[in-house]
Amino acid sequence: MTMAEIRTTEGTWDELLLEDGTPRPAAAALVAQLQSLGMVELQERQNLAELDILAAGITFTVYNDGRGTDRAWPMDIVPRIIEAAEWRRTELGLSQRLRALNRFIHDIYHQQDIIRDGVFPADLLADSVNFRPQCTGVNPAFGVWAHICGSDLVRDDKGVLHVLEDNLRVPSGVSYLMQNRLISKRAFADLFREQSILPVDDYPDRLRRLLFSLAPERSAMARQTGVVLLTPGIYNSAYFEHTFLAQRMGIPLVEGADLFVDRDDRVWMRTIAGPQPVDVIYRRIDDLYLDPEVFNPDSTLGVPGLMRAWQSGTVAIANAPGAGVADDKVVYAWVPDMIRYYLGEEPLLPNVPTYRCHYPDELAYVLDHAHELVLKPANESGGYGITIGDRATPAQLAAAIKAVRQDPRNWVAQPILSLSTAPTLSNGELAPRHIDLRPFVLSGESTYVTTGGLTRVALVEGSLIVNSSQGGGSKDTWIVEI
Amino acid sequence: MSTLLSRVAENLYWAARYLERAEGTARVVREHTNLLIDIPTSVLTSWEPLLTITGAEDFDALDESAIVQHLVADTKNPGSIISSVAQARENLRTCREIIPVSAWNAVNDLHLYVTARAPEGVARQSRTRFTDHVIGEHQRIMGILTTMMSRDEAYTMLRLGRHVERADMTTRVLDVLATSLLSDNAPGAGLYDDLLWSSLLRSLSASQMYQRDPGRTDGAAGALDFVLHTSSFPRSVRYCLESVRESVQRLPRPSATLAAVDMSLSILSTVDPAQLSADGVHNMVDRMEIAIGNVHNEISMAYFTAFDASH
Repeated sequence: MTMAEIRTTEGTWDELLLEDGTPRPAAAALVAQLQSLGMVELQERQNLAELDILAAGITFTVYNDGRGTDRAWPMDIVPRIIEAAEWRRTELGLSQRLRALNRFIHDIYHQQDIIRDGVFPADLLADSVNFRPQCTGVNPAFGVWAHICGSDLVRDDKGVLHVLEDNLRVPSGVSYLMQNRLISKRAFADLFREQSILPVDDYPDRLRRLLFSLAPERSAMARQTGVVLLTPGIYNSAYFEHTFLAQRMGIPLVEGADLFVDRDDRVWMRTIAGPQPVDVIYRRIDDLYLDPEVFNPDSTLGVPGLMRAWQSGTVAIANAPGAGVADDKVVYAWVPDMIRYYLGEEPLLPNVPTYRCHYPDELAYVLDHAHELVLKPANESGGYGITIGDRATPAQLAAAIKAVRQDPRNWVAQPILSLSTAPTLSNGELAPRHIDLRPFVLSGESTYVTTGGLTRVALVEGSLIVNSSQGGGSKDTWIVEI
Repeated sequence: MSTLLSRVAENLYWAARYLERAEGTARVVREHTNLLIDIPTSVLTSWEPLLTITGAEDFDALDESAIVQHLVADTKNPGSIISSVAQARENLRTCREIIPVSAWNAVNDLHLYVTARAPEGVARQSRTRFTDHVIGEHQRIMGILTTMMSRDEAYTMLRLGRHVERADMTTRVLDVLATSLLSDNAPGAGLYDDLLWSSLLRSLSASQMYQRDPGRTDGAAGALDFVLHTSSFPRSVRYCLESVRESVQRLPRPSATLAAVDMSLSILSTVDPAQLSADGVHNMVDRMEIAIGNVHNEISMAYFTAFDASH
């Protein structure tokens, strides 16, 4: 049997190996096992994992090919490893970040102190497509608006983790994080017995507790709290996750038509016993489809009157409408300032350095150096609309530059990071592939961060696009105590 | 407090109906195939009555392969096996957080099988294997649901759908076969009466239990009586209606539906198989179908039609 060889790319940070090719301390046991198993056995385990994924119906839906297609969830069995001590520092940074972001959202919909104090530019807010005037003056429980956040982290060539973006609207992926663990436990059962790999499966319980804690206070009416998960339905790309979470939390999975709002601004769900009150809605529908009375009048996904119910405090919505005002690739550039402003602390987790095309000098720099920058529109998600300067064709780059010039406020630019890599099974070898990490942060009375997160992989060698909708894969993330 | 959504309840109810329908159609096709092998073509050649059973009366081709194709593999016929299974699956897709994972997987398997193998269900040579498989898989699905689901409202909805459909299917099967049997003008029909009766019983999977029933009477009237009135036999009309009654009692606001069930039970109890002619069976079946239709309408109004307190 031949020892499996692990390839790395010079000049990039590998998550499992040091520059000299020896394993990082937390990865020693895994690397030893990978090498001793050999490629044939590893590939066999990968094949078994793929069969398990198919059999369990772990899928996601892709739409950009014109019609919705269910695809098996792509997972590489070789895990990504982070040492527990580093993860604890990262957790602190994330929870600090979310405290500041929630303070910011609350402030924006109330006094707007941060604008008055000149820390955040007023015209940015005026232009923001995610600012919802209807949310002004609303007071969600604990002052928290972004209850569930999925921030994307990337590691640079020096080994430093940076926040790449904060997803504060309807972040998805957490179910895959848990499913990946199930699969990787089967693939590497021995390692789980031999070393301390921290568990990840308490997320649904934490989320359930958070959702119940948001229920508006009521008169001493003794009844069960009505908590539901609102899905756009079966054709949504994350429907598998909606089903998974509803099932794991034991709450009804509802569609817009299952709910209605009465004249007293109370939300009800239509059950076989007649209308039942709803106190908390975990919504997986974008703001603009939530309530046709207020937003998109053609939306059939939402619930007419939901916004007035929420405004009058009879129902809690997670994430709160309007929370997306802080989830915008432009506002992102101000998060370190928010942390200093609201918390009086230095950011524990750095942003990726970001040029704000809003400012003429930074715009000029971006236009001159577009070929060595990543150009990002403010409000696209899923990796769409991004131009990577050194990889775009001249025509693509010219088109992006034109778009930046036309609407500078809606663009930011960042240096092209050399994302870290992790060894990934590919064509019979363990080859380096770029990865990122999406941990999930729950905010309520207190903050909770998932143990690790969903590691996403760009499956094409050299590619930086990790989104599953664009051919990315995933890995289990092991937080290892040493 | 009930948390079963009306939409989900309706999907569960229909999923159970469609699955039961697929099994019922498979049984009828299987038994009719066996029957026609035994009987000279001059006596009873027709596949046409089967169209009545599945409510596909406006279909105009009359030869065996066209009719079996229509009943088994025609995606344009909403009552075919292939359509029933597809609709059951479609209904359950949005209830995946309610039913056991293994039940969903089994429905999915059945759907894949039926979609891929429908032509085998049409060809006479492989037809029995196909119908056996459909019946067996449905039995497996029901086994999973029965042994794994809490006896909550979701389960009650599945049970309700299953028994409404089975009561409906049983009366239709009776109608068709009893008509062929009781009509005097079919030349030479009398010679094969016993074959026909046992085929009727087999179409309803009633033959073995009928043989074992100590109180049975032989002949047409005895067989009819068994599948109509035997409240201990799970495929009899009476058993199905009593199960519907029992299920409804577990649900909120049952009174209107119970009244409709009781009406159908009282119609049933006026039926005396010994007195029935072919026309009498027709007549009885028509009245039962209307009564069962009313039960369905009451269920639908009580539990599926969206309530809206603001209206």
